[in-house]
Amino acid sequence: MKQFVIAGNSAAGISAVEAIRTKDKESKIIVISDEDYPSYCRCLISYYLAGEVGEDKLLYRPENFYKDYNIELILNKKVLRVDPKKNRVILEDKTQLNFDYLLIATGASPKFPDIAGIKKRGVFGFRTIKDVKDIEKILPYTKTACVLGGGLIGLKVAYALHRRNIETKIIIKSRQVLSQILDFEAARFVQKKLEENGIEIIFGQDAVEIIGDGDTKAIKLESGKIIGCSLVIVGKGIIPNIDLVKETNIKFNEGIISNEYMQTNIPNIYTAGDVCESFDITLGTYAINALWPVAIEQGKVAGLNMAGESFKYEGSLGMNSLEFFGLAVVSLGMYRIKENDTSFEELKICDEKRNIYKKLILKNNLLVGGILIGDIRNSGLYLRLIKEKVDVSAIKEKLLAENFSYPVIKDLLKKEKEKIYV
Amino acid sequence: MKRLYYRIDKCLGCRSCEIACAVAHAGEETLFCAIKQKVLPRKKVYFFEGKNFPLSCLHCKEHPCVDACMAGALVYDKEKGLVIHNEERCVGCWICVMVCPYGAIRPDINRKIPVRCDKCKNKDEPACVKACPTTAILWQEEDFLLEVKK
Ligand SMILES: Cc1cc2nc3c(=O)[nH]c(=O)nc-3n(C[C@H](O)[C@H](O)[C@H](O)COP(=O)(O)OP(=O)(O)OC[C@H]3O[C@@H](n4cnc5c(N)ncnc54)[C@H](O)[C@@H]3O)c2cc1C
Ligand code: SF4
Ligand code: SF4
Repeated sequence: MKQFVIAGNSAAGISAVEAIRTKDKESKIIVISDEDYPSYCRCLISYYLAGEVGEDKLLYRPENFYKDYNIELILNKKVLRVDPKKNRVILEDKTQLNFDYLLIATGASPKFPDIAGIKKRGVFGFRTIKDVKDIEKILPYTKTACVLGGGLIGLKVAYALHRRNIETKIIIKSRQVLSQILDFEAARFVQKKLEENGIEIIFGQDAVEIIGDGDTKAIKLESGKIIGCSLVIVGKGIIPNIDLVKETNIKFNEGIISNEYMQTNIPNIYTAGDVCESFDITLGTYAINALWPVAIEQGKVAGLNMAGESFKYEGSLGMNSLEFFGLAVVSLGMYRIKENDTSFEELKICDEKRNIYKKLILKNNLLVGGILIGDIRNSGLYLRLIKEKVDVSAIKEKLLAENFSYPVIKDLLKKEKEKIYV
Repeated sequence: MKRLYYRIDKCLGCRSCEIACAVAHAGEETLFCAIKQKVLPRKKVYFFEGKNFPLSCLHCKEHPCVDACMAGALVYDKEKGLVIHNEERCVGCWICVMVCPYGAIRPDINRKIPVRCDKCKNKDEPACVKACPTTAILWQEEDFLLEVKK
């Protein structure tokens, strides 16, 4: 019997536990979280704030999950330190837990900009149920809210606050929304949708100060402009929670470095999810792809390997799907190419009237990324072509055609997983 | 565990299966109701290089959609070989559409809900199978393919 310790009780951690249990029903599994809740759907907290999803629907697994899977769950306790030499972790209350195998799936935390007043009451990150509950407390007194950052989290929060009838302004340093997943042209579609629905966006500006005596009263922008608001939500990216390995010989960069088995440089210590850097198949380098489906995949690979398999991870890639006021958006892998870089090829449809934008990026006849707006049908096929590195030279002009569908790519695929046509 | 298979040489592309699917999933199970409610068929017949290919969710044994769903709205029922969609939990985030390797989920943008085959849950045979005039759609046990190969 082995002892598995899983630091982190979210997408990556739970996925790993489920994978371990497909191979090993007996060994002891201990899951630790510094949050106060059993595993929940982190991505749904903006829907929860919006009032679209009730607290009961946030639970990610049924109530008896931990019992059924024979897991010891430790909540509300931080893992302070990993001690790889002695194969143990040390918790904040000084408890020590030994492990045969450890998974570090501690996720990430919001990054706060270093500006005056950032610690004032009324300034929040947006990551946990607790954040929502804290925000909820001051909503009754809030007329205007400012959201710092125009990424996925920023826009989702803005949408939620808008749904709660709060006047919401998004402050963005760059000149477009979603600059980490969309090109400028595509971002315009999303921007238009948000603005049409009453969300104000201020581009080219950063907040330089949060003003107020204890409680937030306003923010000051670079331009000197002051915007009155009692609520500020920061959506300016994340930092992986790697404090627990900082004084060890476990290798990390921005995140903990993993190999293709989701293993760190210490053979019995694995890592998965937002906390780790893995090989990105479209960038060709190590990267953090802080995404739910990626955390699930990585957790699964880590879990299988911790239970004795030697399962190779094909690598991660950026994959985002979003929806704002009825506008569907998918972004896969590489979404923008450097100007004048002729090694890439672009296929594009832009139909402003129908609110449709589609762009695919190819390199050496392989699909490496794309953006779909307004019409996201069959986006899974593009993802598959990217992942399986399929040579698409024979179907290039069909890729964005109206009848693009599985039959079009069927004969080009290397592995046919499920056969349905006879 | 029965699954859907298609005999491509027999499919005429008449779309009777699509219509039957929409009807079967309309409130009152009538064509009138299906049209009025704008029910999207969960099955679609694609035309490619002179042939017709009906397609709907394959209820894959490895099911990336279930793994990826961030709301826990998709569940795989191993015994029934069925991916079950709990519409109550679904938030319409389209992750499942993005990861389905067959393009078998249709996003119903108006209802903000992904639409996929449910093998007509409680019926003995899916509606599309019954509706196909040329028996191009087969409702067979899994090992059937092995026999075809022999
Ligand atoms: C509002 C919001 C919306 C999102 N929307 C999307 C989306 O639409 N699509 C998408 O793909 N992704 C989305 N994401 C990202 C997604 O939620 C993350 O990628 C995913 O949760 C990562 O899972 P994880 O298990 O790696 O880490 P996390 O979910 O961050 O979980 C980390 C776990 O570790 C615990 N922990 C951390 N440090 C310690 C410690 N020292 N000791 C003990 N326990 C610790 C935490 O309590 C938690 O249980 C969203 C995120 C947010 C916040
Ligand atoms: S929706 Fe797609 S991935 Fe999911 S089971 Fe059906 S065919 Fe497979
Ligand atoms: S659209 Fe619904 S079923 Fe699909 S991944 Fe999102 S929540 Fe799950």
